[in-house]
Amino acid sequence: MLPTTSEPPAIRPAFDLIDHHGRAVDLTAFRGSFVLVFFGFTHCRVVCPRALKKLSSALEALDEDPTQLIALYITVDPERDTPQVMRAFLETYPRILGLTGSRDQIEIAKRNFRVFSRRSASPTEDGNYDVPHTAMTYLLDPEGRYIAHFNDSLDLPEFIERLRIGLTEGGR
Amino acid sequence: MRPTDGSQTGGNQFQRRGLDDLQLGHLRHFANLSRQLPNQWELMKGKGYGQEDFGGYRFQLAYMSYALALTHRHRLPAAPGVFKPIFERLIAKMLLPEVWMYWRDVSRGGSIFNAHLSSGYSEQWDPVARDNIMYSAYLQSMTLLYHYLFDDARYAEPGALTLQFWSYFWGGEQKRFSYDEKSLNENLYWQMVESGYLGVACEPNCTFQICNQPAIFGFRLHDLVYGGSIAADVVSGYEQAWKEFGRLGDNGHYNIMLSQDTRQVRPNLGKSPWVDAWCGTLMNMWNRDFVHAHYADQAKDFLRAGPDGALSVIAGERPLVMGQTIVSDSCDFGWMAAWASEMGDQTTLGGLLKHADMYMSPCWRDGGLYYPRNDVATDAEGNASMIEPMSGNVLLGYARLNVPDGLWAFYNDPWSSDRFDEPALITVSDDLDVSRAWFDASANRLEFSLSGTDATAEGLVVLGNLRSRGSWSLWLDGAEISSGRADVPASQDNEVVRRVADGLVLRHAGVRRGDYVLTFTE
Repeated sequence: MLPTTSEPPAIRPAFDLIDHHGRAVDLTAFRGSFVLVFFGFTHCRVVCPRALKKLSSALEALDEDPTQLIALYITVDPERDTPQVMRAFLETYPRILGLTGSRDQIEIAKRNFRVFSRRSASPTEDGNYDVPHTAMTYLLDPEGRYIAHFNDSLDLPEFIERLRIGLTEGGR
Repeated sequence: MRPTDGSQTGGNQFQRRGLDDLQLGHLRHFANLSRQLPNQWELMKGKGYGQEDFGGYRFQLAYMSYALALTHRHRLPAAPGVFKPIFERLIAKMLLPEVWMYWRDVSRGGSIFNAHLSSGYSEQWDPVARDNIMYSAYLQSMTLLYHYLFDDARYAEPGALTLQFWSYFWGGEQKRFSYDEKSLNENLYWQMVESGYLGVACEPNCTFQICNQPAIFGFRLHDLVYGGSIAADVVSGYEQAWKEFGRLGDNGHYNIMLSQDTRQVRPNLGKSPWVDAWCGTLMNMWNRDFVHAHYADQAKDFLRAGPDGALSVIAGERPLVMGQTIVSDSCDFGWMAAWASEMGDQTTLGGLLKHADMYMSPCWRDGGLYYPRNDVATDAEGNASMIEPMSGNVLLGYARLNVPDGLWAFYNDPWSSDRFDEPALITVSDDLDVSRAWFDASANRLEFSLSGTDATAEGLVVLGNLRSRGSWSLWLDGAEISSGRADVPASQDNEVVRRVADGLVLRHAGVRRGDYVLTFTE
């Protein structure tokens, strides 16, 4: 047996979390559907609202069966983002399901998706704190395999176009 | 019809001018070093131990490659045959354990920056899996550079970049880590993402601004080869991430590094020239306005005027650390020259090269020009004389061969792939120097100049990509020496020129310089 560690897998889509209805979920719960995953936190003032709005618009434009294309929003701030908080926050984005969990569960999910987040040392103006985080949307195929990711810098038409390509390449 | 003098038409000034003897000497020295046998590192060993510092072989190999790329792109665009084999040999050397085995030790942590964290690290053999961007980004960018320059995907083959070690004397089974240019690029990209775009560490916990620039270069090359916008995404994230810390310290010089655990930046308080010069040289590729805006104020802190316009570099102070003297190559002089070349500051570049030629013992060996290692800070008259192999072998050559904003242009002005269909010097024998090689598309002619390295030089060149060019005529120093049709087997084969598939083999024997023009008529 050679002690080789070459070519570590880039993305290992896996998590074990709680959805915003309080149900325990892992990726097998969505088997059979394409899945979009975005990491963020509900107190995010700029990046998440912009990204979730874009994601919602893209889902609407794609007009896919909601059971065939699932959108997940995984918090990087589980201390504040309880299932109740996430459910209330996501009422504005009804196509998106929020996921939270313990700090350890979130760290594992982050590591699997290679997501960065770190609580900011300096408080915000309202005495809260920020959590700068990776802002990209991952696309998984119905088998739960990573297909592609889309950077937050994409505008809506390009995001939709690249999503379409990803869905096609993923066997849609 | 006799070709008109093309020196005033087509091409750019650097292509028309070609290489002078000093530039040819540096190029020849790169080729000579690349031809050394495996694990023969003559002239390349610096002061430090174990390939840990900035004079390491990996840096010399990488910046020779970058200098070759800049020369090919800007000065000798129609001579891939000069550069391609040197590139291949340099990449082969990058894969040798002697170059990357330092990581097994450095990966354990314990440097003065993060000694408190060393219990959390363990020995790691794979030199590109985690951290160590000071090696992995060079392997990434060199191989993608090769693909981009020569349209050759050999390093994209699975396992093409295999890092293998086995010793008869210790260590048990072999260690073998297989990558290719794509998987390596992907690995670096995701490490960059995980860092929040601050960058990938060199030594554990230490994220240097400088050492992440080659990775950005590699991402850009990946985009140029495969499409996509990785570089733009990463640069955008990098800009945002470093806003919190600032690129520059309070004294106007580049911050050196960030400690990942404490989120503290280490400013360049000692005003070490290499920090600004290295960072500025590389960062110019994507951040030209910023780098140029700060260059003059930064550089003036590092330069000392000498006689007749010569300039030397004021070395930064090296205080004792933990009671120990740091023994390493800073390469201040070489990086200052490289930076001045990228900035287009001919006065500074000329002054530094003048100083080097006066006080740093330029040597010619096997047709190659270099400045040999000298550990003595000053000569008897007090002139700065210390120079490291990285500067003397590589960076002064890089500086002479670069053009103003050369790396910037490489990054921002994609080289048209039309060149792969244009007549060019596809193969060049080792005993030939090529001082000019460019194709004038508007005039439909290839101009090149050759000279042999010595009187016994056989001097063979394959002129390729001639198919569908119609009739050709080859001129040497203004006189036609051969002609034919590109798509018809030649009856004119002679001692000097003979036909091969899609090209001509030209023999240029001896040391004399020959100025050639290959013209075409439909």
